[in-house]
Amino acid sequence: MIKKLIFIISVIIVFASCGGGGDDATITGPDTQDTSRAVQIDPAKINGLIESFPSPIEMAATIEDMKVPYSKKHLVPTDVANDFDSNFEKALGLGMLSADLGYLNVYNRKNAIVEYLTSIKRLADALDVDQFFEFQTLKRLATNSNNLDSLMFLSVTSYHDMDEHLRKTRRSNLSALMITGVWTEGQYLACKVNQFKRDTTTEEIIAGQKDIVKELLSVLEFFDNKPKFKKMNDQFRELLKLYDTVEIKVVEGEDKISYTQDSIQVIEPGEHTEIIYTEENLNKIENKIIKIRNNLISL
Amino acid sequence: MKKIAILIAITSFFIFASGEAQAQCKQQRVYQCARKGGNAIYLRDFNTKLRAVRSERSINGTKWPVVLNRGTRYRFILCSPSGHSNDVKLTLFDSKHPEMRPWNSTEKSGRNMFDFICKRSGVYYVSIRFKQGKGRRKTCAVGILSFVGKNQ
Repeated sequence: MIKKLIFIISVIIVFASCGGGGDDATITGPDTQDTSRAVQIDPAKINGLIESFPSPIEMAATIEDMKVPYSKKHLVPTDVANDFDSNFEKALGLGMLSADLGYLNVYNRKNAIVEYLTSIKRLADALDVDQFFEFQTLKRLATNSNNLDSLMFLSVTSYHDMDEHLRKTRRSNLSALMITGVWTEGQYLACKVNQFKRDTTTEEIIAGQKDIVKELLSVLEFFDNKPKFKKMNDQFRELLKLYDTVEIKVVEGEDKISYTQDSIQVIEPGEHTEIIYTEENLNKIENKIIKIRNNLISL
Repeated sequence: MKKIAILIAITSFFIFASGEAQAQCKQQRVYQCARKGGNAIYLRDFNTKLRAVRSERSINGTKWPVVLNRGTRYRFILCSPSGHSNDVKLTLFDSKHPEMRPWNSTEKSGRNMFDFICKRSGVYYVSIRFKQGKGRRKTCAVGILSFVGKNQ
């Protein structure tokens, strides 16, 4: 009788434990097609760094908010994305196309949205994260609905779910590539906007990325022992060197509190930064970002 | 036999109930919360479970790092299930303004949402925790970060 009891309780415990999904003790980062040695890294540190990175829609929202006219010609062409063959390229492409999808979403370009959704689905399938990319629902929302809110919401949550799944399944290297793709594509679009019409706001967005590039590089350098990462990281190290010419000065000041018409409290910190750069140095940074992005899509 | 059945029932309850306690808020709640931001564009969410507070000293909740960009106005929104709306707070802080002296929180602002105009690009933190003296019952809570616009 006791044996029976122990057996039944054990079965319950085994079934209950199947649903668990706690944080991993360690993360290894092998790219399945890049079989260099796995790196043992602090999972909390890298996950925190990756998780902190901006949403794929943020730069697009910024560009649209600045009333910049829509232009599809600067996005990654989907036929190029279809040629990404290694997991390294696919994960980078997934990030870049997610940023482009964000751009198309904020400009409400439905036909192009379906085209980009199809390419993202292909990459998600290949990386085995397609279960988090609700392709059919997204496609339906893009074609049959005027509910842009739902489409944007689902696009962004799908991106975050895919990213989270990669980290949970010890593929933080691919997750790092996704955020690299999002950041690079976002900055590429900002550079193209600035080349089209120079503007202090856009210039400061680009110049103000100095600390963000440092953060990004601190993630990527976890994987420096992989040849493809090493080659890409060298380009980001060159970019960071160019950012040495940008000075970010912290200026103290009084915080301001105000209220919107809907009584939402607005905090404006007094402490702010002044970004000091020359046009010549900013041009070098812009050209480098454009070069990195174009290199990444032609790997 | 009856004793065995009771034992199994109790074991199952504790195992599966503790699993439920780890549940985050459902996607529908996250979506509804995001919609409360009005015209602001949803960027990401902070979805967490909050276990019941067992002692005065225990600090339950979660914190997330988040990169914010200079010159952007962000909106932070907190949602929790009915019956818990006054129990939970969302706090925005960074290394210079730690959680005890944050930039702002829903508790400080007196509403479940506030705007923050970022004046320095970098890593900030968002935490969602029970307010002091609250949290006798477990719950879930969702924070939303959304984009209001460029502050030019």
